[in-house]
Amino acid sequence: MDTTTATTPMNLENSPAFTFTASTFQKLHPIEYFRKFVSQGVRPDGRLLNGFRPTTVHVGVITTANGSAMVRLGGTTVVCGIKAEVAEPKLDSPDQGYLVPNVDLSPMCSSAFRPGPPGEQAQVVSDAINRVLKESKVLDLKDLCIEEGKAVWTLWVDIVCVSYDGNIYDAALASVMAALANVRIRNPSYAGGIIKVAGGEAISDENSFRLKLNRTPLSSSFALFDTSLTLLADPNFAEESISQGQISITIDEHDELCAVSKIGAGSSSQALLRQCVDRARERSKELRAIMSAQ
Amino acid sequence: MDRKRVPGPELSVAPLVEYPIDHERWTPQQEKRHDPKRQPEDLRPIYLKTGLISQASGSAYIELENTKLACGVYGPRPVKKIGQGFSGMGVLNCDFKFATFACVKRRNNTRQDPQEKELSQILSQALAPAVRLELLPKSVIDVYITVLESDGWGSCLAAAITAASVALAHAGIEMLDLVAGCSASYMQIGPSISSTTTETSSSSGAGNPITPQIQIFMDADTEEEKYEQGAIVLAYMPSLNEVTHLLQNGKAEGPIINQSVEHCMEACNKVYAVMHHALLESMKESKDA
Repeated sequence: MDTTTATTPMNLENSPAFTFTASTFQKLHPIEYFRKFVSQGVRPDGRLLNGFRPTTVHVGVITTANGSAMVRLGGTTVVCGIKAEVAEPKLDSPDQGYLVPNVDLSPMCSSAFRPGPPGEQAQVVSDAINRVLKESKVLDLKDLCIEEGKAVWTLWVDIVCVSYDGNIYDAALASVMAALANVRIRNPSYAGGIIKVAGGEAISDENSFRLKLNRTPLSSSFALFDTSLTLLADPNFAEESISQGQISITIDEHDELCAVSKIGAGSSSQALLRQCVDRARERSKELRAIMSAQ
Repeated sequence: MDRKRVPGPELSVAPLVEYPIDHERWTPQQEKRHDPKRQPEDLRPIYLKTGLISQASGSAYIELENTKLACGVYGPRPVKKIGQGFSGMGVLNCDFKFATFACVKRRNNTRQDPQEKELSQILSQALAPAVRLELLPKSVIDVYITVLESDGWGSCLAAAITAASVALAHAGIEMLDLVAGCSASYMQIGPSISSTTTETSSSSGAGNPITPQIQIFMDADTEEEKYEQGAIVLAYMPSLNEVTHLLQNGKAEGPIINQSVEHCMEACNKVYAVMHHALLESMKESKDA
């Protein structure tokens, strides 16, 4: 037994009880663990600080929906399904349809979410997407009119998170845009208060219509790490939980800003914001290429 | 009013679908299946993969053509609910959910859905006999299912049972055996009863000519379910040769039920091979990583 020798400082350092494996160190001091990587310009998952995770987009994955898309952003997987239904228009906008995006973060996708009504994060993301769609006029709601004052289309845009690993906003917005571009609705006919669509034959350009999208906003998010406010592009779950704040830049295909949001992390300089916008521009081009390759 | 979601119109309905008069719909009278490539005893090809949900203890994704669902297992974790008291046995908590766009008709998620409640309960009854809950006192295992697309009620439940037991195994929870699920529908095929007289000579069923010919269709899809007289969903542990849950509804005679249970057991053995394969693949992947 070398219990006696362990009391001397030199042996204490070599004693196995005081050296941790990397995974133990990560659990005990997540921030310090991360800082060690960031000081070398990399992240624990091997990405560079401004690197986004591999992204895949598949459209038309759900046949029961009018339009659908699945987006995978590293470990985050979201499925967006759009169903078109008929509703009465609002009195003050008799020729405008409805576009209703909602994000569902179920307890299946991560242990961070509880069952029941939408939690805080789900509400925030739903509202952010709703705002981007409305404010940047992605869709002219008048296109959804069937009969003025009587009937309009309602697009129920539901985003289901299948697997959660951070950066839900980027993934959800990309899936919404891909699904909107995928929507096909059969031409309706209005007669005596009843809306009918023709069934039977396969859906084609003659018997259905697509949505005209005015612009395609896509977002890029960055986590702000540490007091130095190091930018980490596309944060995963672990990075989100230790970050000081987050910046999301939403850009359309003409490189125009649609939305900018910055949460937490005290004050950030203009240079930092510009850095984000520049990187977001590159990223949105990459993502657009992935989406159009579909 | 629901303030936690982006509000839409209070009432919205799917438009009426009008079929042209000459449109030919599938009926079981055509004596073949909705998907003509399938024989009555054929299941749809199964795609099963584990480990899709990175945050979960165990997870599985299953696809039978248009039936697609994901399952995440969390636990065993300590019981948090106050007032549940001490339990020497673990609790298996299942939550079955349809995405709003999963079915032909949009599902409204703002209200509690009795069908989802029922399916959750069936799922936990089907899985509980296989899980060694006595080894997990004071803990709860949460099994969450999200149906992304449903093509057939029975096949959806069967797929959920299959996926959930693979996800439980993937989470490393001790089980006696994997539970495979399978569904079957019985329907009357061939010409309708009024015109059977001309067919009696060719029909295989000797004896009473008025008895309509009942055919068992394994793993029926939505279109086939519309014409079914009854259906059966079986949860079965293939290597123990034990049934954990059997659900039969609709009208059927004893021999038909017996026959369909046998068919389902056979099919479950096939499903079991797929489950095995998926788990072995996940072992290989974790070894490589």
